[in-house]
Amino acid sequence: MSSLPYASFIGAFEFIFSPQESNVTGGKKVGGFDKSVELLIKHLEVTLIALAIALVVALPLGLWLGHRGKGEQFAVGVSNAARAIPELAVIALVAVLIGVGLGNVAPVLAILGIPPILNNAYVGVQQVDRATVDAARGMGMSEMAIVRKVELPIAIPTVMGGIRSAAIAILATATIAPLAGVETLGDFIINRNVYGENGLLAGAILVALLALTIEGSLALLQRRLTSDGLKLKTV
Amino acid sequence: MSSPLVLAAGEVGGDFFRERNVGDLCQAQPNHLFCWEWAKDNIDRFGTPTIQHLQIVIPSILIGFVAAFALALLAHRIRWLQPPLLAATGILYTIPSIAFFFLLLPLTGLGRDTAIIVLAAYTLQIIFRNTILGLNNVPASVKDAARGMGFTSRQILWKVELPLAIPEIVAGLRVAVVSTIAIATLAVLISAGGLGTEMYGSNLNFPTAIIIAGAIVILMAFAFDSILLLIQRLTTPWRRVSQA
Amino acid sequence: MPSGETDAQPQPGASSVRYEETTKLYPGASEPAVDKLTLEVPAGEICVLVGPSGCGKTTAMRMVNRTVEITSGDVLVGERSVRERDPAQLRREIGYVIQQIGLFPHRTINENIGAVPQLLGWKKERIRERSRELLELIGLDPELGDRYPAQLSGGQQQRVGVARALAADPLVMLMDEPFGAIDPINRERLQNEFLRLQAEIRKTVLFVTHDIDEAIKMGDRIAVMREGGRVEQYATPAELLMAPANEFVEDFVGADRALKRLALMRVADINLWEAPLAHVGQATAEVRAKLESPDVEIPYPLLVDSERRPLGWLSERDLGGDTVPHRPDSPLGPVLERDDVMRDALADLLQGESQYAPVVDHQGRITGVLSVEIISEFLASPEAKTDEHSAVERPHE
Repeated sequence: MSSLPYASFIGAFEFIFSPQESNVTGGKKVGGFDKSVELLIKHLEVTLIALAIALVVALPLGLWLGHRGKGEQFAVGVSNAARAIPELAVIALVAVLIGVGLGNVAPVLAILGIPPILNNAYVGVQQVDRATVDAARGMGMSEMAIVRKVELPIAIPTVMGGIRSAAIAILATATIAPLAGVETLGDFIINRNVYGENGLLAGAILVALLALTIEGSLALLQRRLTSDGLKLKTV
Repeated sequence: MSSPLVLAAGEVGGDFFRERNVGDLCQAQPNHLFCWEWAKDNIDRFGTPTIQHLQIVIPSILIGFVAAFALALLAHRIRWLQPPLLAATGILYTIPSIAFFFLLLPLTGLGRDTAIIVLAAYTLQIIFRNTILGLNNVPASVKDAARGMGFTSRQILWKVELPLAIPEIVAGLRVAVVSTIAIATLAVLISAGGLGTEMYGSNLNFPTAIIIAGAIVILMAFAFDSILLLIQRLTTPWRRVSQA
Repeated sequence: MPSGETDAQPQPGASSVRYEETTKLYPGASEPAVDKLTLEVPAGEICVLVGPSGCGKTTAMRMVNRTVEITSGDVLVGERSVRERDPAQLRREIGYVIQQIGLFPHRTINENIGAVPQLLGWKKERIRERSRELLELIGLDPELGDRYPAQLSGGQQQRVGVARALAADPLVMLMDEPFGAIDPINRERLQNEFLRLQAEIRKTVLFVTHDIDEAIKMGDRIAVMREGGRVEQYATPAELLMAPANEFVEDFVGADRALKRLALMRVADINLWEAPLAHVGQATAEVRAKLESPDVEIPYPLLVDSERRPLGWLSERDLGGDTVPHRPDSPLGPVLERDDVMRDALADLLQGESQYAPVVDHQGRITGVLSVEIISEFLASPEAKTDEHSAVERPHE
């Protein structure tokens, strides 16, 4: 390992942008810009697919349960319990017991993303002032309409918070997805002997940057979706 | 390019099992889910990883908590620090711990210290945010009354605001503790030991070990969570009474 | 030094409060919130600061315990400048009651009440004793002392707020719309109880409200304020109602000033009519003779028992026979007491659709008859009654 941290980071950046020599592959170059971008895109793909699945399953369920006010134990309990599950064990077990490949890994990643979405959707809708909901009901809005037009817009900050948490959790676990045969940026990190120290650090940097970018984009999206009236309220 | 570390299911060789003292009964079943024989005989090999795990988790939480608490008291007194600090710590939270481990490698090297720094930072974010939230949620009328009655700022903080913020702080602590215990399994990747060692490397195709290690992690998380919940109940008697 | 520190009984320890050109100017504001306020509140009196929202009454009150800092001028509590004192120390000598109450949710009622005594270093036993004493004083079961605020109703919480302010036997009480958040029925009850309390303990109270009726009911003196904390009139309730200083005060007090005056009086304060009395079995001829008398204003005799307690009004039919019957034709209708507040008496009369009502004393014996005519005559007359003022001092009920 390079003794100067600074030099290590330089090495990492070089790795990202231009192919390097490697010990294992007998002189064939590894890394480089194309490879970095390829894995970055793959990582993003995996994350987004899993996130989509999680959203489809958890968002409507969470919103509806919150609207009805039922199942609080369930929604919150699932969320609490899921936090305790070590991702490494999950990925490893998937690889051995279920099989490798995106088809097997994506649902599992989605499951990791369900608890924050479910929890926050529930809490967000639950916390909408009952008076507002009453008024809407009194105006003759159908239950579905109330959720869509009244509760969801008000709950956006909380709900988006849950989606952001889920996205990051999925992205993080996608990093070790190579253990189950799914190529992502984690490749650089896990296959240290192939990609070398520079690769290792490069992988970490890229994952971090990707995470910050997704978080930032979702934050912007949240701001766009939050009505101006809500923004006036100080948190 | 498929990872050389992943072996397709079923291609496990005899050496693999011999290393682990896996009896013939267990060997015979391909893709066996859980082998009780092995579990009974080899349970003690989980002892050291468990202790290592605690050696990572406990210092992380303590350091993270103390740092978060101090920072929160500061941001409580100097209001305008809150948004920038919340944003700054938010970044610590966003960067996946696994990436964070490796980002720190050049600076702090392999081993437990790096793991502790990363997990402490993660804990710090959660507890800082929750403490600030808890303090901000104290009703203004209660603070007004306390001040008008003659409490000094310090007395208001320690006798009124912090006790009322306990539920939020403990809630944050619970999340931080449980998450930290789970994430610490990744510490194996930077040679910091812990229960992750039984899930990774040579154990990758041996579900029994993975499941046992995973179960220990979950049990540990549950135990800590329950203790914290109990502490919260004991320190907030006023929340248990029914409303008039 | 706060008086009464060494024994349990509430001692009449109260200081005067004096504003001397007290001014509050918030940074960046073009006008002062309170502009050179000069006012004196004698010890042991309730001074009500009343005015429209934003007139500075709350700001003025808060400058006494420096929860709002004074820009210029001074406030003297017991002739000592508040500016020279340490704020926390000062506040422990002044009772503070706010509209939202602000009880500590995480402390029991006893602990809430004992908050300031604890800050002052009282012994535990003494604090417990004091808390029990105060709970009884404000009309709450001392058993409630171990409960938490969330377990009490709004009215109960508000009373605890007052008890808490009284705990360390303060020199002055500051009350900012203390009964504002309560429903009208309980508000009246709380107001009456506080007046009853005040009659016993005689604290100096600065009371802020936007409700002129509350001001008239509660205040020994009222300061009507407008923007900038300018006092348009500082006078007793009676003076305010009968001689408003200018149009602003007149508008604020309200067009029904005359009726408001009735709130200051009791039935006993007015000259009642004589009732022609009749006893059971008395000869109707005698009763008729009484009715002929020129002094009698009422055309109906009142049937009373041997103790002179009213039983009912007698009609023409009742007097048809030789003797007065047991039971009169018409029901008795409203019966008033000498201690009743005049406004309530008028309401009872109107409600009962009666022209007249017998007025009885504490034993229920007839003392006279009140009619709507008497009341309207009085309102129309220019007689200013300084006696009205004394009605406020007497304990209710």
